Amino acid sequence: MAYAYLFKYIIIGDTGVGKSCLLLQFTDKRFQPVHDLTIGVEFGARMITIDGKQIKLQIWDTAGQESFRSITRSYYRGAAGALLVYDITRRDTFNHLTTWLEDARQHSNSNMVIMLIANKSDLESRREVKKEEGEAFAREHGLIFMETSAKTASNVEEAFINTAKEIYEKIQEGVFDINNEANGIKIGPQNPMPGPTGPHNAGQAGGSCC
Amino acid sequence: MNFLRGVMGGQQSSGVQPSGAETIQKLCDRVASSTLLDDRRDAVRALKSLSKKYRLEVGTQAMDHLLNVLQTDRADSEIIGYALDTLYNILSNDAEEAVGHSRTWSLLPRDTAESEEENPQAQTDDLGVQFTEMFIKQQENVTILLSILEEFDFHVRWPGVKLLTCLLKQQGPQVQQIILVSPMGVSRLMDLLDDSREVIRNDGLLLLQQLTKSNAAIQKIVAFENAFERLLDIITEEGNSDGGIVVEDCLLLLQNLLKYNNSNQNFFKEGSYIQRMKPWFEVGDDNSGWSAQKVTNLHLMLQLVRVLVSPGNPPGATSSCQKFMYQCGLLQQLCIILMATGVPADILTETINTVSEVIRGSQVNQDYFASVNAPSNPPRPAIVVLLMSMVNERQPFVLRCAVLYCFQCFLYKNQKGQGEIVATLLPSTIDATSLSAGQLLCGGLFSTDSLSNWCAAVALAHALLENSTQKEQLLRVQLATSIGNPPVSLLQQCTNILAQGSKVQTRVGLLMLLCTWLTNCPIAVTHFLHNASNVPFLTAQISENLGEEEQLVQGLCALLLGICIYYNDNSLESNTKEKLKQLIEKRIGKEIFTEKLGFITKHEFYSKAAQKPQPSFSSPDHMMFDHEFTKLVKELEAVIIKAIYKSSEEDKKEEEVKKSLEQHDNIISHYKNVIREQDLQLEELKQTVSTLQAKNEQFQTTVSQQVAQIQQHKDQYNLLKVQLGKDNQHHNSHNSNAQINGFQSEEVSRLKEEIEELKKQHDLLQGELSEKNTLIENLSCNQAAGQTEQTTGVSEQVTELQKEMETLRSQLHVQSTEINRLQAERMELLQKVEASATVTASGDSASAASKNNDYEEKIAGLLRELSSLKDEVNLLSVEKSTLKRELDSAHSTTAILQDEKLKLGQEVSESKKEQDDLLILLADQDQKILSLKNKLKELGEQVDDEDDLESGDAGDEDDLDEEDSRDDDM
Repeated sequence: MAYAYLFKYIIIGDTGVGKSCLLLQFTDKRFQPVHDLTIGVEFGARMITIDGKQIKLQIWDTAGQESFRSITRSYYRGAAGALLVYDITRRDTFNHLTTWLEDARQHSNSNMVIMLIANKSDLESRREVKKEEGEAFAREHGLIFMETSAKTASNVEEAFINTAKEIYEKIQEGVFDINNEANGIKIGPQNPMPGPTGPHNAGQAGGSCC
Repeated sequence: MNFLRGVMGGQQSSGVQPSGAETIQKLCDRVASSTLLDDRRDAVRALKSLSKKYRLEVGTQAMDHLLNVLQTDRADSEIIGYALDTLYNILSNDAEEAVGHSRTWSLLPRDTAESEEENPQAQTDDLGVQFTEMFIKQQENVTILLSILEEFDFHVRWPGVKLLTCLLKQQGPQVQQIILVSPMGVSRLMDLLDDSREVIRNDGLLLLQQLTKSNAAIQKIVAFENAFERLLDIITEEGNSDGGIVVEDCLLLLQNLLKYNNSNQNFFKEGSYIQRMKPWFEVGDDNSGWSAQKVTNLHLMLQLVRVLVSPGNPPGATSSCQKFMYQCGLLQQLCIILMATGVPADILTETINTVSEVIRGSQVNQDYFASVNAPSNPPRPAIVVLLMSMVNERQPFVLRCAVLYCFQCFLYKNQKGQGEIVATLLPSTIDATSLSAGQLLCGGLFSTDSLSNWCAAVALAHALLENSTQKEQLLRVQLATSIGNPPVSLLQQCTNILAQGSKVQTRVGLLMLLCTWLTNCPIAVTHFLHNASNVPFLTAQISENLGEEEQLVQGLCALLLGICIYYNDNSLESNTKEKLKQLIEKRIGKEIFTEKLGFITKHEFYSKAAQKPQPSFSSPDHMMFDHEFTKLVKELEAVIIKAIYKSSEEDKKEEEVKKSLEQHDNIISHYKNVIREQDLQLEELKQTVSTLQAKNEQFQTTVSQQVAQIQQHKDQYNLLKVQLGKDNQHHNSHNSNAQINGFQSEEVSRLKEEIEELKKQHDLLQGELSEKNTLIENLSCNQAAGQTEQTTGVSEQVTELQKEMETLRSQLHVQSTEINRLQAERMELLQKVEASATVTASGDSASAASKNNDYEEKIAGLLRELSSLKDEVNLLSVEKSTLKRELDSAHSTTAILQDEKLKLGQEVSESKKEQDDLLILLADQDQKILSLKNKLKELGEQVDDEDDLESGDAGDEDDLDEEDSRDDDM
């Protein structure tokens, strides 16, 4: 249960691109061909290892439908990483990326790592968006890019882990303020932190004055 | 709004204190029109002071102006603060209650006051709700309020928080929706928890409580904003259960966030927050510290635990939380409270309920609970101690219910636990020295306290649920009633007490136990029917026309009779299915029977008990149904009615169907057996296969051994050939076979050497043979020359001799010609002498005489020469005769040699035969090798065909060469 860091992720993108399936594949290692429409947000968690350190990922899978957009916006600010997902068999989901990205940039903290995910790579025969197009979009907007398949689990691990690696590197570079939990990063309990007795005593002192 | 106008109109018409309304109107005008901020501020402040007194007037007249101020005067925190305070006073019913209650009283005319007297709170509630409606009509008002909350100024933020809380209280869902769609709305409110001013933080908690009420989306966002972490931190800071009302508020908020919200529960669990709950329950043994607040806090803490492991949660979620609670020691901590002394009864009760749900259906936790001992002397199992409370009349009702729930949860899906409880009743395992659970239950079952009877009966029923083994085991239980009387079976004792007509509660409890016991257990049914008085008792109970109180008992009796029919295996002649059905038809009537059966499910207590597993009753008299029993009734009611209404023909048909089913079963079991046999066969075959494989391996090794043997044989064969070659030194063409299948280079080289040797020998032999041949030729030539003077086949000696003879002859010839010449010379000389004598006288005659002497000397020499030649010829003839003799002897040797040759020819043919034999042997062995190779191939071994074939070809060629050379030899 002990971890060095805790990262908060959100998964965003149009409805039906496979966000919930990606999460389910990552957390439970299974695929559900028929998945209920996500209402609001759903939570999932998993432990990974980067650089020999245990890192806990807490992932909020958001509803893609427009009607939930206002709710899902509330999750941008507190996330350290975002997986922006589109469906390679539906060009419109690719076309909407700009809107999603604008929304994310507007409501999130500037350091949030965004990974562009081209999902459903197993449906090669129905492909409408070329890999090169996704790569170009990612390059243009400074995102990491990856083609995945939640069905075959291809690249799913990598997508989540590479995002975590990017965040981890940013921490090492000192880009993230890790003491501000609003960034979606938390240091694990075993790391040297302001001692637990410190705030405890302060709290008691504060309590006595009222 | 009509109502509001009515109220307003009424007031205006009454004309009470018109100056108040006028003043408010003036103030409103000032707020609206004055250009000076100070003026506006003063006006708002004045409105604020009037807002409690004249809530209605200020609300109706000033609301819009105040909202305007919020929009336009954002820069001045003072005026915003006043405006917010005023709005709060208008909207909040709490403020009205506290300050203005007496005012409203005198304000209103007598007649309306009277009507309000009936429901004054509802009136003010309506006022608050209606003003709130006005406020939120414009959604942006709420948005403005949210942005105002970012203002740090205490005088702005605090009333802002209170106002928003008030709005949420009055019009929760609408305000929640507005906050949800405003960007960062929820997140901003979460920041209130970080405010260093405790008043704001604490009021922020109250705001969040209202905000999160029954709105899953907001609950999730709040959780996402680290609410759990922050709230748990606050609770820790405040000293856990010893903390004040702030802890209570945190706990209430936590409950809002977690109750019925699976996503948040998952997040709570995954965030390792369950572990942080454990210190909450480290309450220690200091009995002094049980303040009312602490009791409240602990109560909420226990409820929070229950939220996470509620039987209503998804099974997976509950079980994983149960696991965590055991792993982090939370369950153990709760059990310590359970066994501690001096814990207030309601805390103890809730702790028991909590422990119940933490162990319910979790084998590990149930096993742990079974192992918990009370710290008494001697230590007793916690289960026993708890059951003692359950059957103790003096214990509070809720506590006894909690213990029953705990016991039920301990046995829920716990066959092991069920077995252990029933075992304490069995004669073989009874421990007389200490009090056991079984003894307590029996004691409770037959005590005079109907509540104990009911609880014990239900508890015992739970030990039998879905466990046919224990149902049969319990039939063995015998009770010693009084000294001198024979022991009675537990089943019999239950029916006895039933027949005695005790309290309804007791009988309902016993009937539930019996129904559970007999369900799905034909042996128990037979036992029950074996007692001849039972069926008449039941029919009497059902058929009697009794009061409403007895309806429940009648229904249960009908159910029991139905079970006796449905689970009857017809083993008792007197009480077969058919007979019991006839009995119902004759004595009760099918219609009446079903009607009475229907009493159970129609009962109000039934539907209450069916709602949730925990037994909770508003009063001890309402304790009639058990949750699990309601499930059983649901299952049985329909099948029993079906069974009753079925005609005997249908029954027979069913019997037939059953029989055919049995036949099918038999067929199936037959096939199962077949399958089993085939399985065994399969197993055997598998073993055979494995042995065969082992054998195959063995064979392969044998094959390789045989190959080696063949090689050996070949070597031996070669050796034999060599030996043969040695034996028959004349036989020179046997060595080529040595190269057949020469696998090893060493051997090859060795064989080559042998071949070389053999070749040498062969050459030697050939040389010898040719020598012999020439000798033989010479001899035959000699022979021929000697016998017939033929020139063919001459020996060197003979030719030498002939040459000698020829030279001698030619010498002879030369000499004779010389002699002739000399004679002719002498003749000439004689003629010359005669001529000279005649011609020349004396002188000549002298020289002629000397010449004559010379000639005479010469002749004499020639004559001597001639005689020597004659000697020589004689010598030669002697020689010739010796040669003749020699030739004769050579003839004889030739004959000997010819014999020898003949013998050799025979020997050659013999060795040829031997070689042919060997070749046949070789061919056979080749055949063998080929077949073995094929075998190897079949076995999947790779065999190098080409090599062998090549070497085989080479061998054949050598054989041919051998034959050729042999032919040559011949």
